[in-house]
Formats: sequence, C-alpha cells, structure tokens
Amino acid sequence: MNKRSHSIAFWAGVAVFLVAVLAMTQIVRNEYPFFAGYVILQFIALAVAWSILGGYAGYVNFGTNAFFGVGVYTAVSLFKATGAPLVVQIAVAGLIGMLLGFAVGLLTLRMRGIFFSIATIALAIIIETCVMNWRFVGGAAGIQLQRPPVMAPFDSYVKMLFFVQAVLAVIAVVISRYIQNSRIGRGLQALRDDELAAECTGVPTLKLKLVACMISGALISAAGAPAAMYLQYADPSSAFNLNYSVSALAMALIGGTAHWIGPVLGAILLGSTQQLLAVTISSEVNVLVLGIMLVLFVVGAPKGIIGLLRPRYRLRAGGKP
Amino acid sequence: MKRRTFLGGAMAAAVAGRATGALAQQPPIKIGMSMPQTGGLAGGGKASLLGIEIWRDDINAKGGLLGRKVELIVYDDKSSASETPAIYSKLVDVDKVDLLFAPYATVPTAPIMPFVKQRGLLLMGNFSFQVNSKVGHDMWFNNAPWGPADSWASSFIDLAQKAGGKNMALLAADQEFAQNLALTARDVAKKRNLPVVFDQSYPPNTVEFASIIRALKATKPDIVYVASYPPDSAGILRAVNEIGIGDDVKVFGGGMVGLQFAAVMSNLGSLLNGVVNYNTWLPEQSMYHAGTKEFFEVYTKRAVEAKVDPLGYYLAPYGYATGQMIEAAVNATKSLDQKGLAKYLRENEHKTIVGPIVFAADGEWKESATVQAQFRGVVDKDVEQFRKPGKQVILYPDKLKTGTLISPFEAARK
Repeated sequence: MNKRSHSIAFWAGVAVFLVAVLAMTQIVRNEYPFFAGYVILQFIALAVAWSILGGYAGYVNFGTNAFFGVGVYTAVSLFKATGAPLVVQIAVAGLIGMLLGFAVGLLTLRMRGIFFSIATIALAIIIETCVMNWRFVGGAAGIQLQRPPVMAPFDSYVKMLFFVQAVLAVIAVVISRYIQNSRIGRGLQALRDDELAAECTGVPTLKLKLVACMISGALISAAGAPAAMYLQYADPSSAFNLNYSVSALAMALIGGTAHWIGPVLGAILLGSTQQLLAVTISSEVNVLVLGIMLVLFVVGAPKGIIGLLRPRYRLRAGGKP
Repeated sequence: MKRRTFLGGAMAAAVAGRATGALAQQPPIKIGMSMPQTGGLAGGGKASLLGIEIWRDDINAKGGLLGRKVELIVYDDKSSASETPAIYSKLVDVDKVDLLFAPYATVPTAPIMPFVKQRGLLLMGNFSFQVNSKVGHDMWFNNAPWGPADSWASSFIDLAQKAGGKNMALLAADQEFAQNLALTARDVAKKRNLPVVFDQSYPPNTVEFASIIRALKATKPDIVYVASYPPDSAGILRAVNEIGIGDDVKVFGGGMVGLQFAAVMSNLGSLLNGVVNYNTWLPEQSMYHAGTKEFFEVYTKRAVEAKVDPLGYYLAPYGYATGQMIEAAVNATKSLDQKGLAKYLRENEHKTIVGPIVFAADGEWKESATVQAQFRGVVDKDVEQFRKPGKQVILYPDKLKTGTLISPFEAARK
C-alpha cells in the first residue's frame, strides 16, 4: 500500500472504531463491559502518550502517575469550584498537563538517561505531597463527588465516559501517528540514537524534546481527567498510584515503541489480561503477570510485539534487521 | 481474584445430615464482594474475609439461608479505589449476586456508594468511615463500631480531660483514615475550647520521628492525640521511648492504627505500656456475647492455615457479625428482597457476636462502641499474652469498662 491508501485505511479504521463504540453504548445494556472497557481505553491513551516521549525520543518517563494525578485533581478542583462540565475538565487538564510537560522538558536540558527518570519519580512525589495538603480537594482524606445528570444520547454516565475515553484514545493515536510520520518524529528518533550527533547535524533537540514532553503530558493528563467522574471519588494515593507509570511503560515496551500501533497492542493485551485476571484467578498471580510478561518480552522480543510481527520495525527501532 | 466455592460448607452440611437434599437442588444464594488481598490493606482484608467465611461455613452447616446454600464471590481490589467500580459492576451485572458486602476500609468502598444508590442495592459496610455522609444512601449499613463521626475523638478527649488535660497536641499521618480522625479531633477540641498547642501532619512512610517528638515535647502538652498508620505507630512509640514525652502528658494515643494487629503488638512489646488507644474487640469479660468464644476458637485454628493475623480481634468478628445480621434479616423477612431486608436492618436491634447493633438513619451504628483501652503489663516478644484479659484494660465506653485510667503517661509506662 502506498502512503495515501495507508492514510485512507487509518481514517476509515478510526471512523469505524468510534461508530462501533457509540453503537455499543446504545445497544449493550449490561454495564460491566463499559466499566472494564473504560480502563483498557484509558491505558491505551496512557501507553500511546507515554510512548511519544519514552519511545520516539527515548526519554523514559516514570512520572506518568504525576501527569495522571494532575489530570484527576484538575477535574476535581474545577468541578468542585465551578461545576465545570466534563469536556472543560478534560480540556483544562490537558492544558495543565502541557504546562507540566514544559517544566519536565526543561529538566532534559541537564538530565539524561536514568537521571531524567529519577527526576520524574521525584516530580510525582512532590505533586502528590502538595495535593495531600490541599484541603480544598479533600487532602489525604480524599473527596467524594456527585456526577451531574448524563447527556443524550447516553443513558448512563459510565457509557458516556467509555465513549469519551475512546475519543481521547483516538486523539492520542492520531497525534502519535502524525508525529511518527513528520519531521518531529524523525528528529526525535535522531536524538534518541545520538543526541550530540543530532544537535551537530542541525536537529533542534531542545525544541523537539519540549514539544514531545508537552504533547505527552497533555495527553496523559487529559486521559486522567475523566477518572474523577468514573470513580466519583479521588484520593491522592489512588490518583498518583505508581501502577499507572509501571503499566504505561510496560504496555508500550511489550507492544513495541517503534510504531504508534505498538503501545495500542500492548495496552489491549496487558489491559485485557489484567481485567480478566482480576475477576478470574488468584490475586497474587494477577500481580505477577505484569512482571513476568515484561521479563519474557525483554528477553524474547526486545522490540515488542511489532518487532515480532514486522521485522522491518526492528531496524527502525535501532536493532539489527 | 478468587471465586470461592463452598465444598467445605457443603461437606459440613452433609456430615451434619441436615437438609442436604434441598441444598443440592436449589441454586445457591450468592453474596458478592471485593476484598483487599494485595496492597496496603491486605492484612486487614484477609482477616475480615476469614471471619465472613467462618460465618458462611456455619450457616451452610445449619442448612443455608431459605434452604439454599450460601456462596461467596470474592475478587481482589488491590486496596485501590480504582478497581472497585468494575468489580461491583461485574458482581451485579454478570455474576448476578443476590447480596453485596462492601470491601474492608474507606478507600475501596467510597467509589461504589453512588453505584449502589443508583441501582437501589443493599450494601453491608465493612469498617468504612463516613462514606455515606454525602451520598445519603438509605440501604447502607456500615458494620463498624465507630458510631457518630465525632465520638471517636470525643471519647479519648473525655478521658484525658477527666485526668486533668488542659491542652492538646495532635500528630497525624498524611493518609485518609488518620486525617479523618485528626479532623474530628480538631472539631471536638474547638467545641470544648481546648487549645491545640501542636498540630502537625507527617508524610506517609516517615520512619524517623525523633525530631517531631522533640518538637511536640517542647510544647508541653497535657494530651497527645496520635492518628498514625502501622509503620509510623511503631516509629512514634520507639521515638517516645528514646526521648521521653514529658511529665505533663496525662494521656497518649487515641487513633494509632497497627496497635490492634498481633505482629505489630508483639514486635513493640513493652513499649506499648501506658498507651491509650482505640480498638474494636478485646478479650475482656465485658466483650463476650453469645457465640463470641466459639468464633475465636474456630478463627484461631483457621488463621494459621490462612496465614492471617493470629489474634484477629480487630476485623474478623465483625465480618462474622455482618453475616449474622444478613442471616437474621433473611430469616425474618423470608426473602432476598433488598428493600425488605434494608427495612428490617434499619428497624431492629441485631444480636451478634460483637454485641447488639442498632443502626442510625445514616447507616452507621447508632451508638459508638469503639473502645479506648490502656495497655498494661505487656512484656516483649509474646503474642499469646494478648489473649489474656488485663493486657488492654477498657476505659471507654462505660458499659464495657474493665478498669480505670493510670495517668500521667510516664507513670503508666512503668
């Protein structure tokens, strides 16, 4: 397929997916698929967003939970202060996530590799501590929220959130795909392979890193914002749970970071497995699964699922063909 | 996690030879819940679940409910708020359970309150703190002896004021439960014009408390109210042991989580002496009711195989009591109709192994039965000592009282 037919297939796929999701909310009456599906879609958005910085640029961000928590608490504070509708909560959360991403991007001026990763963990702890002491949003004790009435054409709030999260996941994928195929993506890949060499050949590395951080941060925070209304409750230890960071990273790595489809596949595989295990076999096994899958993929398929499926991506991901 | 099956209970019923024909023919009554079995709340969650499982086995040995076997469907919520909405939707929409129990603790319970209200479902609470105050669900019954929100702090402050306390220091962990306690303590102090001379929160996972205790000591408080979590409770008591707390302190403790669990108690040993702290059940004469002794005989044996808290005083008997309340309500109404069961639970007094229970309109216990007890004569490295009466003397409430306060704190520590 040439580039143009690729593009047509992609947009057709997006349209079919969104129509299917909307149809599902109108047809399926049992609410459990929406509760479970929401979580999987949320992880798709998180993994794809994480991959923009962590995959394309190679800057491993352990602070996904910081951005996610900022999204949740932006929604909580807006809703409590002004009763803002969901779409405003998500938009503002995205904006604040973008500003936070800008700040994190500035960190990359001085920190690379493991030092950058540690700094992002510290960022999560600092923000969580601040929220714990912010009484307006309940502090450490948490806060309960009452959902406003649901909007047509949906008959339940969870179905609406499911659709909204599907839209957010699609936005994340569209942006990630655009970046991958654009000058930004090529620049990011150049700086991932050798930042100094990229700088010397005229790649504007700082600008690119800032852009990647801001976009990734905005998408993660936006994906976190609906969680406030999904849970109707927020507490710092759940909102800033390290599990979000570990899962987003594991999903992107298992799926493969060389192509936008990698994190999507990883999130679907791991997210569904986690949801399934939570309601089937023992809890201890459930906790083990993520670790075991990560180890298996690191050893057996270092380029992730897409590396196994399409050998040419191994080359793009920096490996040998 | 686990979908528990009931071979044990069915076999017990078969051995007892009662009504097994009917049990085998009808579908079981399914009771669904999530329970923290991994994560920070797992220790409590597992002990609580064992209490509920002992009730299930007892009821099945007696022939079940309405002639049907009782089955528990339990999933692990990993101690997290984000897991429970999907789990409860699965229980209701896919597993089609007949009744719902809430998970142990406030954080996993809070997100399911709006869900059960919207669906009009009965929910038996399990040691949550004020999760229904904003939601206002009239089919919520929290089986925890907290009672009215401020009774917790007021019982401790009452004791301290009677012992001559004129001002208070407040030390609380930056975590959900501790902050709720601190909030009510501040309110009670304000109502009584009790000056708060020290009010500090510390981040979770703090391990070194020497500087905080020095700062607290410098303010010369009469009452020290501590709302802490298990690791910090141990750290605070160790710091107090090293530095001392001053002769002014009449009463020390109040809301220290962890001092109810066998592992923490045996680890701290004699450092516990003198501390006045909350508890929910203690092996004191006043706390035994019909069936309590038998329950603990079974629990003590099963706790070893289940690898849960060997004492199990804090949560396990309440798990059993929740089952007893459901048993009474189903037998009285002869149905599983949620509204009918809720009406029965709201309007009657329930006799359980943790004593009689009456619910207030908000679904909390009408009267607080949270005890404040003082540790006495505790020696190091001996779990078995806590099974004997006299190691934790009950000072509050009056109807359960088994001794009087020794004050000041430094005198009580000896």
